[in-house]
Amino acid sequence: MTETTIASKPSLQDYTPRPGRRHFRRYWQLYVMMVLPLIHFLLFKYAPLIGNVLAFRRYRPGMGPYGTEWVGLAYFERFMQDPAFWRAFGNTLILSFGNILINFPIPIIFALLLNEVRAQRFKKFVQTISYMPRFISTVVVIAILGELLSPSSGMLNRLLGALFGMEPIYFVNEPQYFRPIYILSETWQYTGWTAIIYLAAIAGVNRELFEAADIDGASRFQKVIYVTIPSIMSTIMVMLILNVGSLLSLGFEKVLLLYTPSNAMVSDIIDTLVYRTGLANQNYSYATAIGLFSGIVGVILVSTTNWLSRKMSGESIY
Amino acid sequence: MHTHRKFRPLTFADVLIYAFMILVVLLCFIPFIYMLALSLSSPEAIINNKVSLVPVGINFEAYNQIFTYPNFFKYYGNTIFYTAAGTFISLFMTTLFAYAMSKRFLKGHKLVMMLIVFSMFFSGGLIPTYLLISNLHLTGTVWAMLLPFAINQFNLIILINFLRAIPTEIEEAAIIDGLHYFGILRRVILPLSTPALATIGLFTAVFFWNDWFNGLIYLNTDQYPVMLFLRNIVNGTAMVGDGAGAADKSTIAMSIKSAVIITSTLPIIILYPLLQRFFVAGLTVGSVKG
Repeated sequence: MTETTIASKPSLQDYTPRPGRRHFRRYWQLYVMMVLPLIHFLLFKYAPLIGNVLAFRRYRPGMGPYGTEWVGLAYFERFMQDPAFWRAFGNTLILSFGNILINFPIPIIFALLLNEVRAQRFKKFVQTISYMPRFISTVVVIAILGELLSPSSGMLNRLLGALFGMEPIYFVNEPQYFRPIYILSETWQYTGWTAIIYLAAIAGVNRELFEAADIDGASRFQKVIYVTIPSIMSTIMVMLILNVGSLLSLGFEKVLLLYTPSNAMVSDIIDTLVYRTGLANQNYSYATAIGLFSGIVGVILVSTTNWLSRKMSGESIY
Repeated sequence: MHTHRKFRPLTFADVLIYAFMILVVLLCFIPFIYMLALSLSSPEAIINNKVSLVPVGINFEAYNQIFTYPNFFKYYGNTIFYTAAGTFISLFMTTLFAYAMSKRFLKGHKLVMMLIVFSMFFSGGLIPTYLLISNLHLTGTVWAMLLPFAINQFNLIILINFLRAIPTEIEEAAIIDGLHYFGILRRVILPLSTPALATIGLFTAVFFWNDWFNGLIYLNTDQYPVMLFLRNIVNGTAMVGDGAGAADKSTIAMSIKSAVIITSTLPIIILYPLLQRFFVAGLTVGSVKG
């Protein structure tokens, strides 16, 4: 600031540091800090993005990751006529909607019930335990499931046998059990974690509303229905819209781990199809085209739902 | 603040809710107790369906088998290495980036922020990423496990928001003391950021500890992390306990699987009570919009 006193014409208020050399002389270290991370971003986040041109170009081994010649939309036309793609597309939608149907309300109900627990210590304890499964590897979750559901000596089959005299069922191999297993294992892993957001929202509800309800003689249940739920409605809406926005991105690793040839008709989703055609069969361009299609649909879904969310509740993620 | 507390008797609804919460806690724990019981039980007890939550015929044969399996400690060591190196590289890169990005007056700040946010919604996809890694000749090297994940955009934004909340007066004082920005970052900002760094460091460490898919597509067998080894035992690609008779192989496999599950999850379960407060802190720091 001392330099400005020499030139008296521009007043002190008008003075803004001249962009240019002085700015860089002062802050060059901050720019240096960005160099490595920016290289990382361009290389590992943006180069693969550009790599999607492979969906429009023919790949030849050893001729670089971006292919050799343009083929236009040939790969897109091909997968549009491929029944395997439509099967995977349908499976993705069914599994996603089923997952939202079950696993969207459960954390809300859990949070509402947990909020009714008056012993604060116990409440904290339950909450802490409930989100532990979020930190367990998917491999471990599937391995535990495999043992719990094993037809020879798994706990569930023994329980069903003892209670109802049922024959052992090979759960992880039977197609009709794939979706329930996927969805319920998501329930186990993520209910407690997702509930944190709702519990935070409930904690932010104005206490005077409850006191007013008390004076009106509202029962506990009525308070939940008429005070708590309406107060956290915007959070619920945003979460719902975000869920719908990520419709095409399921837990790919879990599906891959649960995938067996005998349940393929229901467990083959878009991501596993991309994995198999791309990495197992090395149809790189074809798989890239499918991946790009699902990526673009995903971005459209996210931005539409985000726009809807902003219009409806004034909340948005960007 | 004192709020008068009414001692209401427990209602029927209370009892139901408490019972439900106890059930939730049990549901979170039982799978691990079952695994522990299986891993400590004798093959005869398992094959005769005697094992549920208490080990029957206690023995350490399953642990003995995996600990004498030549590659188990190698895989375990690999995982420890990926977790330590991956977390270190990630914290280094994320801190540098976040500190610079916490200064809104830098030129190109808006553009870089847009680059970060855009890449959260549109990622390159599996095949282009795979081809890039193999064209960089990273396939079959540990770098394939570490470098692509050095910066997680969510963690980056958590840290940027945290650093923006630090009062600039602290930095101005350091500048007057003659420190430059690298010095400020190291001596002033880092000590103030330990809670935030612990939080994102833990998330990163859990990510690397649990990762198996990238090991599967990028690494050679001897570089596998322990989670990939477990997955291979589960789907029958890898065999442990070959010395056993063919008849009880499946039950032996069951106790061995459980022993691998327990040993590979143990660090997270043991550290969990100590670390869980950071996990929630991370979620709430992230929700503060900058």
